[in-house]
Amino acid sequence: MNEREKGGVADDALIRTTLAGDDGAFAELVERYKGRAFAVAVGIVGDGDDALDVVQDSFIKAYYKLKEFRFGSNFYTWFYRLLVNQAIDRWRKSARSAEVPFDESWLSEDASPPDSFAYPKTPEDLARDRELGDALQRAVDSLPEYHRAVIVLREVDGMAYDEIAKVLGCSVGTVMSRLHYARGKLKGALKAHREG
Amino acid sequence: MDCRAALKNIEAKADGLLPRGAEGELAGHLAGCPACAAENAAIFATGPALRALTGVRTMEKAPALDAMWTRVRAGIEERREARRNPFRIARWAWIPAAAALAVVALLLYPAGTDRSPFHPSTFDVAVEDVESEGATVALVDKGEDLPRVIWIIEDAKS
Repeated sequence: MNEREKGGVADDALIRTTLAGDDGAFAELVERYKGRAFAVAVGIVGDGDDALDVVQDSFIKAYYKLKEFRFGSNFYTWFYRLLVNQAIDRWRKSARSAEVPFDESWLSEDASPPDSFAYPKTPEDLARDRELGDALQRAVDSLPEYHRAVIVLREVDGMAYDEIAKVLGCSVGTVMSRLHYARGKLKGALKAHREG
Repeated sequence: MDCRAALKNIEAKADGLLPRGAEGELAGHLAGCPACAAENAAIFATGPALRALTGVRTMEKAPALDAMWTRVRAGIEERREARRNPFRIARWAWIPAAAALAVVALLLYPAGTDRSPFHPSTFDVAVEDVESEGATVALVDKGEDLPRVIWIIEDAKS
């Protein structure tokens, strides 16, 4: 949802004002999207400092590419495309990308009866269970980049399938199959932690 | 509904593709099947768990995120400055510039003198040809100890 829908100044208006030379309008766009952008970036690159760099670089790139923005389309879809590509590039260059092979044992099909185990729902829940946080991060890191981008855009940002398809430049079917695969991997990690 | 169908429906539900009419039947199966209920719980925990994970990282970096516009503005200014004064940042650029100047100087070297040509075959040298309108010349690299020299093969072509 963009600010136009929330009743604030529309993104398009801020972009026009920025193009007219008022950087303050671009500052408003940064304030508006930095939180969501960071959540997506950190979901893809894993590391907080890397994610900050990705968000910063993406906004700078967006500022200088703003002339290419097509009015009438969604700013955040356009911006997220820059952001996701930047994050994937960053991930590929980082040393971490080479050190997280996927452990298939996480995909154990054994199902235990449900008990009082509660999966984490908030950052506070997860902060209390560092082991699970690490296991989850490993599972995310082990996903191929575009699968990771899909599940982060869907589950963290709440994007619709067609929007994700636009951001990643692929079909809705591809988005769904990547999402299905990624969700299966994360589910495996959660179950393995619970059963282990 | 058997477990195989239930698992398929759990995944369809997670993808948002389960018809409403099938939800009741699935719920009935889950109530009596602990294994499928565990599968259902795990698959629907992935979203909240992922949000919790990025939430933890966001909390850790909240102060830096607050200053994001300051960082972005600094980056914008840096690029703007670089565009205004392109030579200011290109301190290293004198190296290729000097090399290019040297090549140009060699190409414009006055022709028609009595200078006897240097023959590269007496040395262990690397020769690369450079074509120009005025002459065909060769740049001869004799290694680190000796400087590059020019060898005019064909003078005043045009």
